[in-house]
Amino acid sequence: MALIEAVDIVKIYPNGVLANDHVSLSVEAGEIHALVGENGAGKSTLMKILYGLEHPTSGEIHLRGQPVTIASPQAAIDMGIGMVHQNFMLVDAFTVAENIVLGREPTIHQGITINRQTAIRDTEMLSQQYGLYVEPNARVDTVPVGMRQRVEILKALYRGAEILILDEPTAVLTPRETDDLFKAVRNLVSEGKTVIFITHKLREVMAISDRVTVMRDARRVGTVNTSETNEAELARMMVGREVFMQVEKPPVRRGKPVLEARNLTFINETGRTLLHDATFTAYESEILGIAGVEGNGQTELAEVLTGLRAATSGEAYVDGVSVLGHGPRKVREARVAHIPEDRLTNGVAVMATIGDNLIVDRYYRPPFTRMGLLDLAAIRDNGQALVQQFDILAPSADLPVGSLSGGNMQKVVVARELSADPRLLIAAQPTRGVDIGAIEYIHQQLVDQRTNGLAILLISADLQEVMKLSDRIMVMYNGEIVAIFPNTPDLTEQQLGLYMLGAERQPAEEMERYQ
Amino acid sequence: MNQRHFSRHLPLIAFSVLIGLGVMFFITYRVFGGSWETMTNAPNYVSLIIVNALIGFCVLLFVVELRWDALRVILTVIFALLLGGLVTAVFFLDAANKYVQGEFRVQVVSDAEPLIDMGYGDRMTELFNNPNVDEPVKEVSYQFVGREGDEIAVLAYVEDRNADLDMAVALLDANDEVLAEASGATEEQLRTFRRYLKTENDAVIESFVLPADGTYSVVARMENPDSDARGEATVVVVSEGGESPVDMAYNAPVGATFNAPNASDPITEAAYRFAGSRGDVISVLSYAARSNVAVDLEVALVGPDGAVLAESTGSTAEQVAAYRPNLNSERDAIIEGFTLPASGIYTVRTQPEPLTTSMRISETVSQTADAYETFLLGPLSRQNRWVIWMRDALTLIMLGLAIAIVFRAEQFSLGADGQLYFGALAAGALVLAFGDLPKILLVPVALLSAATAGFLWGLVPGVLKAYLGANELVSTLMLNTVAARFYEMVITEQLQPPDAGFTTSDWFASNGLLTPIIDVAGDQVTIAVYLLIILVLITWVLIQRTPLGYEIRMIGANIKFANFGGVNSKRTIMLAMAISGAVAGLAGAHLAMGIHRRLILNISLGLGFEGVVVALLARNNPLVVPFTGLLYAYLRTGAQVMERDANVSSEVVRIIQAVVILLITADALVAFFRQRRITRRGTIELDDGSGEAGGLTASAQEVAHG
Repeated sequence: MALIEAVDIVKIYPNGVLANDHVSLSVEAGEIHALVGENGAGKSTLMKILYGLEHPTSGEIHLRGQPVTIASPQAAIDMGIGMVHQNFMLVDAFTVAENIVLGREPTIHQGITINRQTAIRDTEMLSQQYGLYVEPNARVDTVPVGMRQRVEILKALYRGAEILILDEPTAVLTPRETDDLFKAVRNLVSEGKTVIFITHKLREVMAISDRVTVMRDARRVGTVNTSETNEAELARMMVGREVFMQVEKPPVRRGKPVLEARNLTFINETGRTLLHDATFTAYESEILGIAGVEGNGQTELAEVLTGLRAATSGEAYVDGVSVLGHGPRKVREARVAHIPEDRLTNGVAVMATIGDNLIVDRYYRPPFTRMGLLDLAAIRDNGQALVQQFDILAPSADLPVGSLSGGNMQKVVVARELSADPRLLIAAQPTRGVDIGAIEYIHQQLVDQRTNGLAILLISADLQEVMKLSDRIMVMYNGEIVAIFPNTPDLTEQQLGLYMLGAERQPAEEMERYQ
Repeated sequence: MNQRHFSRHLPLIAFSVLIGLGVMFFITYRVFGGSWETMTNAPNYVSLIIVNALIGFCVLLFVVELRWDALRVILTVIFALLLGGLVTAVFFLDAANKYVQGEFRVQVVSDAEPLIDMGYGDRMTELFNNPNVDEPVKEVSYQFVGREGDEIAVLAYVEDRNADLDMAVALLDANDEVLAEASGATEEQLRTFRRYLKTENDAVIESFVLPADGTYSVVARMENPDSDARGEATVVVVSEGGESPVDMAYNAPVGATFNAPNASDPITEAAYRFAGSRGDVISVLSYAARSNVAVDLEVALVGPDGAVLAESTGSTAEQVAAYRPNLNSERDAIIEGFTLPASGIYTVRTQPEPLTTSMRISETVSQTADAYETFLLGPLSRQNRWVIWMRDALTLIMLGLAIAIVFRAEQFSLGADGQLYFGALAAGALVLAFGDLPKILLVPVALLSAATAGFLWGLVPGVLKAYLGANELVSTLMLNTVAARFYEMVITEQLQPPDAGFTTSDWFASNGLLTPIIDVAGDQVTIAVYLLIILVLITWVLIQRTPLGYEIRMIGANIKFANFGGVNSKRTIMLAMAISGAVAGLAGAHLAMGIHRRLILNISLGLGFEGVVVALLARNNPLVVPFTGLLYAYLRTGAQVMERDANVSSEVVRIIQAVVILLITADALVAFFRQRRITRRGTIELDDGSGEAGGLTASAQEVAHG
């Protein structure tokens, strides 16, 4: 008998959007059930219904065979259903233990004072029982992301959750933290819990789950046992067509140097050195991948190179011309394009139209500005042309970017940057939060442009992406470049991992060799 | 807009043209009171119609530009008006009180012989022994009513010391038996009654205790009837402690004021006693003292034994006609033609009719409705009020444009007020200094200098923001004060003529004034109307059609994105603030050269802040600002008219303003959440393929305009 079962769920939002179309899901006790699908396939809606945040238009939910109505998250918690959201819902200024007991605090003095000792003891007990390591006394805003996630899980367990819904839990984690999480999830299952795991990363599905339910276009495509399927099949189910996980990457000889970075150093306002003495060269027809655990200077490197931040010292030359110190426009006029790591912060203005978003780097030049006035027709034509050329799913370029999905938003960014006719492209996390179809598309675009002579600096937290696309890989640790390798087939994740964690460092002369 | 676009929008355009025409005709019709003659007799009526046509065009632009959002703006305003109406009602919560307060009179009308002539303390004066009449008075007799045990003194005296009239007095009971007599006064009595008695010739019966209730008479006569002394003698009955048993006589009105608003102990009911004889036919009247007093009275006649004999709460129209001018309305009460059953002391009781809740409510509602009608139609009730509306609107539209520019860049600058002062000062100083230049030169130069002054003053917070990170909200508010004080100082120290009674400059020479196109008894609408059209167009082109406008819009949409794309955001912020200042400076020039025609203190009247409401209502769209400026100025003018005509404080319009700001801020929140929802919804639809993508258009456009 299934522990929890959603039967024929239909969810139509008040605005008429059909988010779940007769979806059924059956989760057995003690299993890890992965729920996969592209953004907007209806996974989150289904989980919100299970957690009482939304109510189904029709259909039933059965818990241990009994039909139940889950009116609110409180009701869900009372029934033993817990959910860990993608965006953590923790109070930053509280300690870990305080967050865990929040709302069900053990009290003394007739309920007036919180019993901190008990809170800490309870936290430690839970933590040991499930192998989820946390520091009970640390303030939440001082602990790493991985620990915050464990706090969220413990919070749900403290409230007696038997079924845990994890909503894209790995999106914010480093590979190492992901491994830890998986261990913890297996622990939970061995302790008798049941886990529903939402993701769109197929590798993780294969690594952790017992069964997989795939959703597409608000419908359930199918449920399969993980052991009887593979990534390609799942991808096909998700996207609805054959997906080429491998990009076509013809070998080309690299050309002239385009970017020469010399001793770039960046010290922030608080005096921390975030980038130290970075020296490297990027060449035509080459993808130079930058590997590294996030927060080791990659962001700062990209921002210094694009003029968004002023380097404390050092120089950068594009085609022999010094570009730093004059702001982003000078860099852009040297034909450097930039896909920023956080598209909602830097990449787009969601309230502005697609057309306006596509010209932010060139609006002041013909054909967009003629005789001091904007040429609205040219802007619209440019928008429509790029929407077509880059396969952006939008009925018109006059719509605000905010009406697009994450993948299509990212395509807007890619379309703008690649259509700028760049010599160098700095692509930071180009596929973060993007669905599989768009990832495939963006990867292919990058490789094609590199084959056509573009120099690409690829910064990604996804080691596999770096290894798949790059011609050369540079590893950053603690703001420094610690190794540079040509991307040969015998290079392994483990090898790179040693450098990424700072365990090893390439000798200077060897690094010089691969410059 | 290409052909296809045009045909798709045709219904919308036709609809807005209709609305625009309707508004134009309505305003014109109202201003001229619906009379063709009034219109053709008015000077400049053609200009007035042209301006009304422009108003209609503003309405059209508003509908075309905002579409469904226009409805939302209108609903916002209507909601604010409703709340304003509630507040207005507060002013009228006690409207019904006028029916229970005010001065009233009570009168007993009768042709019968009065039973008594006086009460205690009444001074009855008669001219004795007048040789010029046939039968000179030698003796008088007055009747009064007293109670058993009343201790009284009866005095007969001559006011004029030289009259040499020697008086005697006697007190008689109802059967004409003499109870006491006197013919002179002792020295001690003269002292005791020095308020009355003058000489020993006056007569006094002192300390007489009345033996029973009843009527008594006082007879006063000349002691020596043959003497030829003459003069006015006065008779008075004084009772120490004893109160007079009657308060009024036939045909003599008495009265007081019910519920006087400021009285510490307001009167809520009144009773008056009178003495009547059996068979007297009387009418009892209780009526408002003046025709503008609305007190609604009721009256009762109470017999000597305390029984209510007759009651009345009102009067008929015939009674009102018969008892004019005493009775004025049917609210006055009358007991008509009542025959007294016995002799004795009767009481008339009167009080305001008690208010019922329904009266209170209906009175409040009707008064509020009247006041609100004045508010809503006031600006159109007279031509000069229309002119005031236009003048306010012109200023507000300019300020709205100024604010819209900075708000587009998401700079919350409130500096329009200060920039306005500098604009007014620059224009005014120039006009005063070069008043003899030809108008064609002077006016443009003055306008230009106003714009420049505003530009420079706007640049200041821009520079502070861009290079020092000073919060523009704080800095502009501070700079506003600096500007206002500087303006004041220049006027007091430099521009004020020595003979001026208060702080103001000289009147501008006519060369330096904006030419009026409409003049209603000195209130003018100037060519600023046409200059404003150009200004609106320039602002629109600036924001929508220039690279700088693109920069301003992108900075407003996401400043990090703009920076990322290479936009020089510091320069853009400074320019946006400075250009906004230039427009505000022009508004100042308009105030100085078009409205006040000299520089006065407080020339802005705080309009700079009202410009914020105008811009917010218009969603910072320069083509919509004219409409919202007109709308807001209309409400302002209406509130002033209401203040004057209905005595409701014009602060009501402030409340409306506050509600509008609150609702629009809340509106922005709604738009924010809706946009998040659409982001998700759009995703779902697009995943379905392009088939359903059409459904996205409408909602996404809402985002674009929200």
